[in-house]
Amino acid sequence: MLAYGFGQRAMVGGLIIAATCSFISFFVIVRRLAFVGMGISHAAFGGVAIGIVAGVNPILTAGGFCVLIAGGIGWFSRKGRLHEDTVIGILFASAMAFGVLLVSLAHTYNLDLMSYLFGSILAMSWTDVVILAVLSALVVAFLVLFFKELIFFAFDEETATASGVPVRFVYYGLLIAMAVTVVVSIKLVGIILVSALLVMPGATGLQLTRNYRGVIVISLFAAVTAVVAGLFLSSGFDIASGATIVLVLFAEFVLSVAFSPRRPYVAKLFGKGQG
Amino acid sequence: MTRNCRVAEFFDGSVEGARTLIELECVWVSLSGQTVLEDISFSLEEKMFLGVVGPNGAGKTTLLRVVLGLLRPGRGTVRVMGMTPAELKHELHHIGYMPQQVIFDPLFPVSVYDVVMMGRACCIGTLRFPKKADKEAVLDSIEMVGLDGLEGRPVGELSGGEQKRAFLARALCRETHILLLDEPTAGLDLPSQQQFMELLVELKERLGLSVIFVSHDVNVLARFADEMVCINRTMHLHGRPQEVLGSEKLKEAYRCEFDFLVGVGGQGPRTGGGD
Repeated sequence: MLAYGFGQRAMVGGLIIAATCSFISFFVIVRRLAFVGMGISHAAFGGVAIGIVAGVNPILTAGGFCVLIAGGIGWFSRKGRLHEDTVIGILFASAMAFGVLLVSLAHTYNLDLMSYLFGSILAMSWTDVVILAVLSALVVAFLVLFFKELIFFAFDEETATASGVPVRFVYYGLLIAMAVTVVVSIKLVGIILVSALLVMPGATGLQLTRNYRGVIVISLFAAVTAVVAGLFLSSGFDIASGATIVLVLFAEFVLSVAFSPRRPYVAKLFGKGQG
Repeated sequence: MTRNCRVAEFFDGSVEGARTLIELECVWVSLSGQTVLEDISFSLEEKMFLGVVGPNGAGKTTLLRVVLGLLRPGRGTVRVMGMTPAELKHELHHIGYMPQQVIFDPLFPVSVYDVVMMGRACCIGTLRFPKKADKEAVLDSIEMVGLDGLEGRPVGELSGGEQKRAFLARALCRETHILLLDEPTAGLDLPSQQQFMELLVELKERLGLSVIFVSHDVNVLARFADEMVCINRTMHLHGRPQEVLGSEKLKEAYRCEFDFLVGVGGQGPRTGGGD
């Protein structure tokens, strides 16, 4: 597949997305933001619908919309004294309903919409790849530059606050970084499956090690191999690329559970009591 | 190092022994329209161990949050090392704080070393990475609390007492002058409590720290504190442990009898735990 331009663009774009998702996935897992990721990604449907109906690039409108929803989740759960999951349940259903309403008002059944729901990595242009690379670089830069603050905040928010860590900035920054990651990943696996990229790499890493550096490295490895294997399998068997990538990730996760050092039989195999 | 100016000025500009590190004057705090603290005044002299006792819900944790500048009093003044709460915001690395209970995910993939390094975050500064000196400071703190050899152990695998010591190391792993401890021995069995208190007193002497120790357990504090304050929304008592223990006002604050404390005073047994 790499002999063709679309295949090369898909591979480059896919690898950039894999790297970004695997990194942020670590924080999604340790800060328990999996449902936030689900919420943001499904809310993206509303943003995509705005773009389609208004005739603007849906990725741009989805980007703005997701950042808004991410900020909304943070704001409501902090100010409204509601639990994050309650706010997400409210916002993501409303945003999706809004999207459905817009699309039905436009009276067009848009094939384009399907590509946003399930991804269309093979239809990516080099411009798309550049946009994706720039946005991913911003997300990764945020995660690297504020890593020690993020990990302190994720582990123990109260002491982080008492130590002068700008927790509000870090929290909203993380939510916005997730929103941006979701938007860039929509091309790869689509709105419905994108939360898998935010959850599974980190979850796989956490099965295999108790050291955050190791978790991040394994997470990166899992995401990259899933994208590469997924793209080759999908082109070889002519099957949906997004779904294939997600299923490869799932297989990796299942393997990591089976071979986790925390399993007694694995521990016995390697002659150690603890992982 | 302009960041340290205010604190350096404070320590240069006053005579040792006569320095008042924390001064609260007629402080009133309301939370959600309810008065939580009423007319609280006390001071913490340098190298003093001040015990703050009071029943559950007396506002002890709130008091620590006021000292840290996380809550602004509705009335009254707070000065910490000569600074207002707004000025203190940039000098929080001179205060070590141990919250009541660090509620963390036991699977969080961080080692003792990583957790103690978190305490260093405010010394390192935003957008900077740990240097050799920071790494040495972390290892020193781990050694001080007697956890050397366990620095690589995932913090979720430590015993309750070891975890408390790791959090104490985190509070010390900065340019600590003041230590604020919120029920640090809660949930520990008697021998571990004893061990923790002895370690704390030893470190306080060795590092010349000034300590505010919050507890609902009068017994523990009476043995170790230089002075005690008893609050239950308002100040009921302030004095030496013997004076506090013998006072009728203690019963008033706790709204119960304290006969079982008679005779413990400041000279109580330091070993054993069978009393």
